[in-house]
Amino acid sequence: MNKIWILAKKDLRLLIRDKTGAFFTFGFPIMYALFFGMIFKNMGGGGPTTMEIIVVDQDQTQASQAFVHKLNESDSTRIVEKNLEEAVELVQKGKKPAYVLIREGYGEAAQNIFGGNPPAFEIGVDPSKRVQSMILEGVLMQHAADNFSRAFSDKDTMSKQIARSRERVTQSEDLNATERVIFSTFFAALDSFMQNAPSGNTTDGEMGGGFGSMTPAVITTKEITQQKTDTGNTFNITFPQSLVWGLMGCAATFGISLVVERVRGTLVRLRMSPISYAQILAGKGLACFICLIAVNGIMLVFGMLVFDLSPNNYPLLVLAILCSSVCFVGIMMLLSVLGKTEASAGGIGWAVLIVMAMLGGGMIPYMFLPDWIKTIASVSPVKWTVIAMEGAIFRGFTLGDMMLPCGVLLGIGVVCFALGARVFRWMES
Amino acid sequence: MAMLELTNLCKSFGDLRAVDDLSLTIETGEVFGLLGPNGAGKTTTIHMATGLLVPDSGTVVLNMQGSPADPEVRANIGVAPQALSLYEELTGQENLDFFGSLQGLSGKGLAQRVEASLEFVSLADRRKDLVKSYSGGMKRRLNIAVALIHEPRIVLLDEPTVGVDPQSRNAIFDNILELKAHGVTVVYTTHYMEEAEKLCDRVAIMDNGKILALDSLPGLINAHGGQSVVILEGPDGEKRIETDHPLDEIVKRKDQSDIASFRVERPDLERVFLNLTGRQLRD
Repeated sequence: MNKIWILAKKDLRLLIRDKTGAFFTFGFPIMYALFFGMIFKNMGGGGPTTMEIIVVDQDQTQASQAFVHKLNESDSTRIVEKNLEEAVELVQKGKKPAYVLIREGYGEAAQNIFGGNPPAFEIGVDPSKRVQSMILEGVLMQHAADNFSRAFSDKDTMSKQIARSRERVTQSEDLNATERVIFSTFFAALDSFMQNAPSGNTTDGEMGGGFGSMTPAVITTKEITQQKTDTGNTFNITFPQSLVWGLMGCAATFGISLVVERVRGTLVRLRMSPISYAQILAGKGLACFICLIAVNGIMLVFGMLVFDLSPNNYPLLVLAILCSSVCFVGIMMLLSVLGKTEASAGGIGWAVLIVMAMLGGGMIPYMFLPDWIKTIASVSPVKWTVIAMEGAIFRGFTLGDMMLPCGVLLGIGVVCFALGARVFRWMES
Repeated sequence: MAMLELTNLCKSFGDLRAVDDLSLTIETGEVFGLLGPNGAGKTTTIHMATGLLVPDSGTVVLNMQGSPADPEVRANIGVAPQALSLYEELTGQENLDFFGSLQGLSGKGLAQRVEASLEFVSLADRRKDLVKSYSGGMKRRLNIAVALIHEPRIVLLDEPTVGVDPQSRNAIFDNILELKAHGVTVVYTTHYMEEAEKLCDRVAIMDNGKILALDSLPGLINAHGGQSVVILEGPDGEKRIETDHPLDEIVKRKDQSDIASFRVERPDLERVFLNLTGRQLRD
């Protein structure tokens, strides 16, 4: 271990002496991490291919079933029906972006065109996926409005509605005699109009413009986290992705350090020393690890001081940072042994990191990715890094919840490092 | 006692046979020259001798302890590679500190060895300067100092005078002779004949991955150098007489009035190489 530390100390000293290198290791990753954080924070536009939504239908009426069916037929949404408990858990864990709760009474409320409460939905949304939440609200409102306009264009439905409304006017104690006369006259005229109107339904939305003041549905949105009722501030949500970019940028600069040793001839001297290939690689890995921790630490302090970042659970965030760093060290050590020149090592490093970021939702939010990419995203450590960071920062993960992402990250790191050591030994001998 | 034994070493890179069935034994305390043109296989031989390269076949035994692939055995070796192997962003002292630490030195022992190594190569007054500010000759000397930091029993110097000024070259020669005086075994690869002639007790001449001849300098010259040449210059131009007894030839012609001047060319390693390979060393 002592020799690994000696090697790491030398690399850190070299890094500090090289001011340009130090900037690109520490300063630049922080800069573009913040840049990407800001971009994701304000990101909008661009529709998803299909959103996977959980529907909790507590009403179980013909109307609610029809509404669910309509949602499922939509190109924008794909529906999975669950009970409320399961739905909340899936959103909490980040496995689904949102759920729609259709409460009991929906069927009756859907009939209330001229009075009473409109149908209400509750959306439970993953706070890191607000864009999806907004899209979902739009989809729900659209379907509710369709129902609303369909009711107006159906003569039988309208007749029943008018009859119910006339009855309510008659029975209402809130109306005075004059108002009662006015409403009775209005509904009688409307009934007469509907009786004389041509039969058959109009097309969707044909009548929608005339009832703009009426509300087709009431939608309430609720952020789903375990321990906190909100996420603190929006920077909490984008910060995990910022950390990922910080990790990738810092790791990339270390990806070429072994090639630099080779090209400058010092690798021969290292190999002549009484140390193993794995120790040489571990020394580089340790220096890289220290830098990754430093970069994430600086970003964390910066985020707390400047952006009022308030992670949910500091020990778990430290755990997430440690595991992510181990993972990226392992990956970069494997990649570093593959390059023959500084250019090729740098190219390989960035190419792999960018692909991992693309697959894992580091560049384009996960929701916008095609299904086939989502399927293979699990091989990307970026995905697991984001999950672990989000879990600690705002999802309120427990230690048990952290086991999967952290275990995957550690596993990737250790396997890549071992593979790197073998390849290094094979290539050098 | 043998310090380094190479037996039937072979190493190929693709179709290129870099080292071909090479065997030699280097005795403790000698300065051994490995002489040959660029591409002769000297560096490949050095790399196999130090455990950096695994031979395709054959064995390497160092200090009668075993293969240098074993880190403990390798600790007996100090290497100054042909390519400078230094961290330019560190000072001379930091380079020595670092490589000394990797060799297991620490504390006062490390400080003493750093001091002694800097003094040995006359760089003590530049210890705090970054290596990138050193001249080519100073870097070469530091390269040797790093090889010596852990007091190895055998030092392999691969073309240590390439690209250095005459002053630094002389300083390096002095260092090597001082190492020899302290009983350190030195393996010296070069393609400069005069360096081998000046420093080496024995010389192996290598070409195309093979040892063509191995002996002391006089032995090589006697065996492969051919005769001395007496060159007489007169009105009709130069006259060359090959002989084993140049002095007798000159005395025999002392009364000839048509000789304006004369000189004697003794056989040297250059001639040995020419006779062995049919070409000049620097071809």
